Amino acid sequence: MEGSAYLDELESKSINIIREAYWQYKEKLAVLWSMGKDSTALVHLVRKAFLGEVPVSFIHIDTTFKFSQIYAFRDKYAKEWGINLIIVKNSAALARGISPDKDRFNCCDSLKTVALKTAIDKFGFKVLLLAIRRDEHLIRAKERYFSQRDKEFKWDYNDQPLEMWAQYYKTEHEEGGHLRVHPMLHWREIDIWKYIKREKLPVIDLYFAKNNKRYRSIGCQCCCSPVESSADSIDKIIRELEVSRVAERSGRAQDKEKEYMMQKLRSLGYM
Amino acid sequence: MAGEVDSGKSTLIGRLLYDTGSLHKTAMDEVSQASRLSGNILEFAYLLDGLEEERRGQLTIDTTQAFCRCAKSGFWFIDVPGHAELLKNMLCGSSYSQAAILVTDATKPLEDGTIRHINVLKFLGIEQIIVVLNKLDILGFSKDAFESAKSEISAFFDSIGIKTEYFIPVSARQGDNLASKSAKTFWYKGPCLISALSSLEGNKAGKKGGFYFPVQDVYVRKGKPVFMGTILSGQIRKNDPVYISPAGKRDKIRAIKVFGKNKLSAMAPESIGLELAGGEGVRRGQIISSDAGLSSGIEIAAKILCVRPINLQDKLFFSCVTQQGICSIKQVNKFSSISSGAIPDNKVCLDKEDVAEVLIVMQEPVSVKKFNQLEALGRFVLKKDREIVAAGIIN
Repeated sequence: MEGSAYLDELESKSINIIREAYWQYKEKLAVLWSMGKDSTALVHLVRKAFLGEVPVSFIHIDTTFKFSQIYAFRDKYAKEWGINLIIVKNSAALARGISPDKDRFNCCDSLKTVALKTAIDKFGFKVLLLAIRRDEHLIRAKERYFSQRDKEFKWDYNDQPLEMWAQYYKTEHEEGGHLRVHPMLHWREIDIWKYIKREKLPVIDLYFAKNNKRYRSIGCQCCCSPVESSADSIDKIIRELEVSRVAERSGRAQDKEKEYMMQKLRSLGYM
Repeated sequence: MAGEVDSGKSTLIGRLLYDTGSLHKTAMDEVSQASRLSGNILEFAYLLDGLEEERRGQLTIDTTQAFCRCAKSGFWFIDVPGHAELLKNMLCGSSYSQAAILVTDATKPLEDGTIRHINVLKFLGIEQIIVVLNKLDILGFSKDAFESAKSEISAFFDSIGIKTEYFIPVSARQGDNLASKSAKTFWYKGPCLISALSSLEGNKAGKKGGFYFPVQDVYVRKGKPVFMGTILSGQIRKNDPVYISPAGKRDKIRAIKVFGKNKLSAMAPESIGLELAGGEGVRRGQIISSDAGLSSGIEIAAKILCVRPINLQDKLFFSCVTQQGICSIKQVNKFSSISSGAIPDNKVCLDKEDVAEVLIVMQEPVSVKKFNQLEALGRFVLKKDREIVAAGIIN
């Protein structure tokens, strides 16, 4: 299960989904790229799906609270890979002084979800590709490959469409809404790292241990906490994951703060 | 994980995650806290039922998957709801699977929901089934109670032509016979669940057999059309002769393209691009294959399972891999249902839960195979108003 043939299967399935979404929606499709390891792997899969000539756009939601390494990484690889990148910010909310110190829920909602809504309206995107995985969080484990959002960005998780054989989906979106496509649902955290190693993908150095701490998940600097670790290379991270009992997103404050916060955030349109 | 409401599916997976050390500490802490808040003892089902509505209602609403480290390298366990109203979510989850664990409540082994789920598994052609008789703790781990439940289920299996090698007595809540054998069932000589799982076979080899490649899209690269898709089975090499169906043409592979290079060969399940020597008229919906005998036609004999009602006059939308088109149901030869109720004689439409042997007529020809020859080309869905209304198997 763990060899290269296994990664080929995961990759092939993801590429098939990306191509299916593109066939239906063409340039009305955008890929969310947070510079994290998963979305960077997704960018690579998108490049593979299109044989290197990528006809779709990429979106970076910039809350302005991100680690500085994220910005440097973004600018370098967007240029190197010829990425058509759109950077979105909720400038109005930032001007009002919104920040995670006051209320994390509203901060995530305003600076990420609302910023995304604005971008979708402005550019007319009908489909967003996201790198979420089932094993990241119980709520994400309930997702479909093709998942509707209504015009309020709401996720009706109580009545999701039927997907048969992981091959047949509901690929039409409702009027005014958009479709979320999740080509990497079936990947595990360890699969991502093995793929990064195999494909020689760049990753931000925050993932590697310094002073016995490293980040397993990166986003806004203030809301991410590092975990105890001595893994300062990809091989060591892979070994560490093989025995780990600590959850990947355990350093993410917004997942924990209130009961069912992730569910509430996602039902309002969060990633 | 198939089985009736409250048979213990979610609890079993949760307990197995716990016993195999597959759990994150954070997940365990969160579940302990949620259990305390709702006044329960440690509720393992919360490890799967993450939605607020699921925990408050003590039920699974939608399918989910959890990876469990056990046996060789591990399994993805797919949890599904037991409630009849949630059939589409149960079908969704079941259709992802390669094998099934049928979880039954040993105190009432053959309820309607159990029968419904067994019939869904039979419809989907899932042949590897492990039967787990749960809640044996309530029956004092009695051998007689186990044997009685086992024979009731065996008799039903025989009546519909299903076989299974394993009937395992367990207590999901207490963990007996899940990850290891339990002394409480000293009379039981078979394997624990993890050992039974180790004997399951993975994906049947798609690399052997004929080459089949449904065209998903056409990209233009360096001025030439490249036919994109995922290989369903078999292998292909540069310069191999191929057939295009249902168009009925012959062609030849000029190049096999992936990101950054051309390859000399490719095999299932790779997603690739193909350049053909000819390629005229080749577009999404055509199948490129090594099969000179891949026939095409407008009539398809199949059995379908309805998840929503279908009127026999309805125009439906047929999808089999990338082949899509309008169709209608010309004939219904036989009705049954996945539930155990009787079917009225004078049915004029297909209802949710009905299984029917039908003749479908397409507006345009398609190329399909029997399910037991090539699963991906032997199964399809029917859509109405953009929703899947039935799943089909070509027999």
